[in-house]
Amino acid sequence: MATSVPLLELQDVTKTYPGPAGALPVLANLGLVLERGESLAIVGPSGCGKTTLLNIIGTLDRPTSGRVCLEGRDLTTLDERALAEVRNRHLGFVFQMHHLLPQCTVLENVLVPTLATRNEVLRDGAPERARRLLERVGLGQRLDHRPGQLSGGERQRVAVVRALINEPRLLLADEPTGALDRASAETLANLLVDLNRELHLTLIVVTHALELARRLQRVMELRDGRLRDLPAVS
Amino acid sequence: MTRLRFILRSLRFHARAHLGTLLGAAVAAAVLVGALVVGDSVRGTLRDLALLRLGKTAHALASGDRLFTTTLALNLQNGLVQAGVAQPNTPPLAPALQLPAVAVNADGSARAHRVQVLGVDARFWQLAPTPTALGEPPPDAVLLNRPLAEQLRVQPGDAVLLRVQKPRALSADAPLAPEEDASVALRLRVQAVLSDAQFGRFSLQAGQVAPFNAFVSLGMLQQRVGAAHQANLLLAAEPQPPALPRGTTAGNVVIWAGAVPFNLGEQLERVLTQRWQLADAQLEWRALPGSGALELRSPRVFLDPAVGDAVFGAGPGATNALVHRLAREWPGLTATGVLTYFVNELRVGDRATPYSMVTATGPPLVPADLGEDEVLITRWLAEDLQAGPGDALTLRYYVVGAGRQLEERAATFRIRGILPMDAPGLDRDLMPDFPGMTDAENCRDWDTGLPIDHTRIRPKDEAYWREYRGTPKAVISLAAGRRLWENRFGNLTAVRFTLPGRATSDRAAFERAVAPVRVGLSTLLTRALNPAAFGLRFEPVRARALAASEQAQDFGQLFLGFSLFLIAAALLLLAVLFQFTIERRAPELGTLLAVGFRPGQAGRLFLAEGGLVALGGGALGAWGGLGYARALLHGLSTLWREAVGGTPLQLHVQTGTLLGGAMAAVLVAVLTMTLALRRHLRTPARQLLAEGVLEDAGGPAAPPRVALGVALAALLGALGLVAAALANPDRAGPGLFFGAGALLLLAGLAGVSAWLRRLGGLASAARLTLAGLGVRSATRRRRRSLAVAGLLACGSFLVAAIGVFRLEAGRGAERRASGTGGFALIAEATQPVVRDLNTAAGRDAHGLDAATLTDVRFVPFRVRDGDEASCLNLNRAQTPRLLGVNPDLLTARGAFTFVRLANRAAGAQPWQALRRGPDTPPDEVPAVGDAASIQWALGKRVGETLEFHDERGRPFKLRLVGAVANSILQGALVIDEAEFVRRFPSTAGYRFFLVDAPPERREAVAAELTRGLRDLGVEVTPAARRLAAFNAVQNTYLGTFQVLGGLGLLLGSVGLGVVVMRNVFERRGELALLLAVGFRRRALRTLVVSEHVALLGAGLAVGVLAAAVAVVPAVVASGTEVPLASLGVLLGAVWLNGAGWTALATESALRGELLPALRNE
Repeated sequence: MATSVPLLELQDVTKTYPGPAGALPVLANLGLVLERGESLAIVGPSGCGKTTLLNIIGTLDRPTSGRVCLEGRDLTTLDERALAEVRNRHLGFVFQMHHLLPQCTVLENVLVPTLATRNEVLRDGAPERARRLLERVGLGQRLDHRPGQLSGGERQRVAVVRALINEPRLLLADEPTGALDRASAETLANLLVDLNRELHLTLIVVTHALELARRLQRVMELRDGRLRDLPAVS
Repeated sequence: MTRLRFILRSLRFHARAHLGTLLGAAVAAAVLVGALVVGDSVRGTLRDLALLRLGKTAHALASGDRLFTTTLALNLQNGLVQAGVAQPNTPPLAPALQLPAVAVNADGSARAHRVQVLGVDARFWQLAPTPTALGEPPPDAVLLNRPLAEQLRVQPGDAVLLRVQKPRALSADAPLAPEEDASVALRLRVQAVLSDAQFGRFSLQAGQVAPFNAFVSLGMLQQRVGAAHQANLLLAAEPQPPALPRGTTAGNVVIWAGAVPFNLGEQLERVLTQRWQLADAQLEWRALPGSGALELRSPRVFLDPAVGDAVFGAGPGATNALVHRLAREWPGLTATGVLTYFVNELRVGDRATPYSMVTATGPPLVPADLGEDEVLITRWLAEDLQAGPGDALTLRYYVVGAGRQLEERAATFRIRGILPMDAPGLDRDLMPDFPGMTDAENCRDWDTGLPIDHTRIRPKDEAYWREYRGTPKAVISLAAGRRLWENRFGNLTAVRFTLPGRATSDRAAFERAVAPVRVGLSTLLTRALNPAAFGLRFEPVRARALAASEQAQDFGQLFLGFSLFLIAAALLLLAVLFQFTIERRAPELGTLLAVGFRPGQAGRLFLAEGGLVALGGGALGAWGGLGYARALLHGLSTLWREAVGGTPLQLHVQTGTLLGGAMAAVLVAVLTMTLALRRHLRTPARQLLAEGVLEDAGGPAAPPRVALGVALAALLGALGLVAAALANPDRAGPGLFFGAGALLLLAGLAGVSAWLRRLGGLASAARLTLAGLGVRSATRRRRRSLAVAGLLACGSFLVAAIGVFRLEAGRGAERRASGTGGFALIAEATQPVVRDLNTAAGRDAHGLDAATLTDVRFVPFRVRDGDEASCLNLNRAQTPRLLGVNPDLLTARGAFTFVRLANRAAGAQPWQALRRGPDTPPDEVPAVGDAASIQWALGKRVGETLEFHDERGRPFKLRLVGAVANSILQGALVIDEAEFVRRFPSTAGYRFFLVDAPPERREAVAAELTRGLRDLGVEVTPAARRLAAFNAVQNTYLGTFQVLGGLGLLLGSVGLGVVVMRNVFERRGELALLLAVGFRRRALRTLVVSEHVALLGAGLAVGVLAAAVAVVPAVVASGTEVPLASLGVLLGAVWLNGAGWTALATESALRGELLPALRNE
């Protein structure tokens, strides 16, 4: 019987930082399995290591020990060049701050990740895909606007589209609604949930917003360096 | 979306942020391009001047004191035409007679020394830079070049007096040279004043300063100086080859019909070798019917050794001697060398015959077996001395030493036999044509240049002179004669070719009979002799002039060096500003990395953007560089004119220079950006996204061990270099100075880095006080702080170090070790002084006042003119001026300070290094020069050699054996006088003098020398003033360096201001908080200013301390006194400037509302 490989699997991931009184553990033997199409919210108090965990999953940081496997491929063994490739092709990132490039239009911002890829098919289809996605998030009329001409919510939606432009398997969002007003946060939450559903996109969201967390399939709390399910929230 | 579009978008969006980077690149490019354009301009100007001074002349034959016939020009011209490489008279070879002169205007109110009088005809003007219709000047007219006309303050129509040195066949230094008037005065009317384009600047010597030229009629000058149909200069232009019929094709063979490339120098040498005549070497035939002989002789009295070598062979066993061919060509013809000398006395016992000629020769006059200790005496002498075979005959005679001192010597011979007065071969023609003797009616009229005691001349001696003239009274073997009388001018006075059985009293018949022999012998001799041995040698003057300008002092590199700090400052500023831009855009970089860009990819996007900015800066800089070059050239024509000898420099721009300079600046700028960007690319994306790039973000400051270690190692290295320089001053050069300086700067900056780290870790910094906050801020951006401190340190190092190297000529000028050698005056003569000015007789001969010259001593130098090899000549000296001196005179005085010696063992008596040693190769001559001349004007080092040719065309090498420090000897190389006269025997007398005079009578001595030696064109200059003129060049360079360094420092101060503003803006939140909790704005200002002023102080202190230590060897070696006061003022000004920028930047940054910054936080 063929065994299906989970999209993401974390095995005994540990992360420590050096401190004045010795190594300071942030993540301790953490494990996680996430299947394709799942959506997961990670909650926890400030400073518990949520962003560190997301950065490790997103290959922006490396664990002190343990394995991070994406579709069975151990990312901790890859060099920087391969990790950049993984970030570009398989992962999408949405930050609390949108980090749009102010010099580029909405459409151009969305297309920026395609500049890093050598996949011509992907690159050639990107403008059409970008337009479709921007249309999908309600920004079809704002293609040529600059980030400075958009509201906070709109900028964050552009950031989401930018994260999706290379058709990643996994979308990572770090406090995506943290800097938004309630209405914009609601809109963005809807968008993320809808994308998860419509595109069968695996989603991990680090958030303090329980409203958003509740709408995802799984909610886990990071405490004392370990993840545990919070079924009550679900 | 493409990468290019992304880059252009970024460029446009961040245009304002890039402005600083653009300006930094533009300044760097402008300075770089400007410096290179200055180099092009100097080279171009020198090339223009070289072409102006030579016109169309490509090769020149300058025989100096030797004269050739003007028909040589025609012969060579015809030879070139026949060889098919020239058309008749287009352009011709132009002969000229070039003589030194003194010029005076009509009322005597203006004089000019060292004037070149050129006797020319119409052919000369055809070689002018631009065609001119000037023909041979009228006999009563003179054409002056503009500098000479200005010096004499004359215009066309005015009268001038030229006192021209007459060419002498017999060197004034030669034995029996008469003390005749060596010059002739010409009163002439100024016909025209010639521009440079009209050949007014004509000169064969490389130099950008126009000579004083006076052009007169060739025929008139020849006649007035007694050199009819003779010249000493022959100019040749590249001829136009004759047009040939068009080429044809025969089958598959194309017959080339165009101009055939040829080498003019080779063609000239070939034609010269084929067509020169004995008369061109001042050799002439005299028919001696009574002796049945043809005699080869010279108005120069002594025949060059080459003649004897050609006829008899250069040594034992020589097979190519002419005598070997004579037997085949003319059976019975014999050749005999003759050396006739004037002796003071012939004595046997207590009987003596005064002032007689004695001949040394071989058969047929003397038996072949005449021993070297044997003599034949004439019947007349035998009777006068009542001597016979077996008696001992003593000869007393003068020889001339190297310094023209007469030394009487004696030699004793045994009388072997008595010659009858009509013995074959014994005739009055055995005496050469001694000027002042040959034409004298009686002995009392002799003008021999020797001290003659007329009271010793008896009536019978007068009777002998009347009857037998110069017929020798005694004859010795040629070997014995050569042993006694061979001198630097030659070893024969004639060569006799005796035809057996041809003695006759019928001169006409004899002349007819020997005419074919004379022609045949002439042909054989001209083929056997090398014309170069008589100074007949073409020099490729045009190629040499162009090489001199091409290899000239590279002002491009010089100004590049001078501007290096300015460029470094611009680049450092560019780096700081670019870094600020990148820091501001750190999240953007983080985003790119987060969405999958590799660091290299993201870096290339940023670098491409920066590269375009740099490209814009480069283009802007290339344009600005032209302005910068114009400004520098203006500076070189006005403020710094001493550096270029007053040469009016013209802007010469080459596209390659503009593009090359701009691209080099762009590349360096991009490299700088790469270095600035590298650290950011190593920063993790998460950190870039979160907080940008922060130093010391990871926690407390690392311990300063590494920085301290670097500081200590660099300090030890620097001290080692300084100690080595002090122990071995000979090896202390600029490299060592800059090496020690760089290490000290590194040590200082590493020390500052360690200090900043240490400050950050101190308890005081950890304390929550205003001062503690200040310390934390200063240590937080350590690299930025270090960059600014480094910039200021480098600038203050240069400014301080250069200040020390400024030269002051007047200080200690009376010391023997100083650059004046302790001499009070320098005297330079247009015409040689042949008498010894250190003797009463010599002074009396020139009418010099003995009282005024009491305690005045002269060190005379012989002079061989050549290129000025001092910093006053921008061209690379190809054949520098040579001075010949008796080394003992300088050794006794301990004059000058040697900074380099090839053989350090000679350090006790360095001037003796000029003496030929046992190991000195025969073709080498030791030479000493001024260190600056050797390094800059000649591009050589002590131990290296220069190729030279002596007067007889023989190559030799000048081996540089020593260098004296910063002296009045700049411009020439000094060799031993003995070597000088050996290599240049025709150069008579002395033209350069170093004069010791009591300080209180210096002006009086100068005035007396100027007056007494006026006709010789003597110009007297205080030695300290001459040194100051040389020093002015170096000081001007240093001044230029200081000005450009100061500009760099100014840019550094601007950098400091920028850093202050940036720091304050980054800390606006912190400062606003302090304001919010009750601190006064003034306290904040003090806090910010004091932080940065401390940085400024640290930078200056490091630079000044590094300079202080690095210059110690130079100061100790040269004895220079450090100008502390002016240095203090300069550095104070630098500090104030930096503090001013800091205060201005602080004020600007703290102006306005700070509190909104809290809300933004």
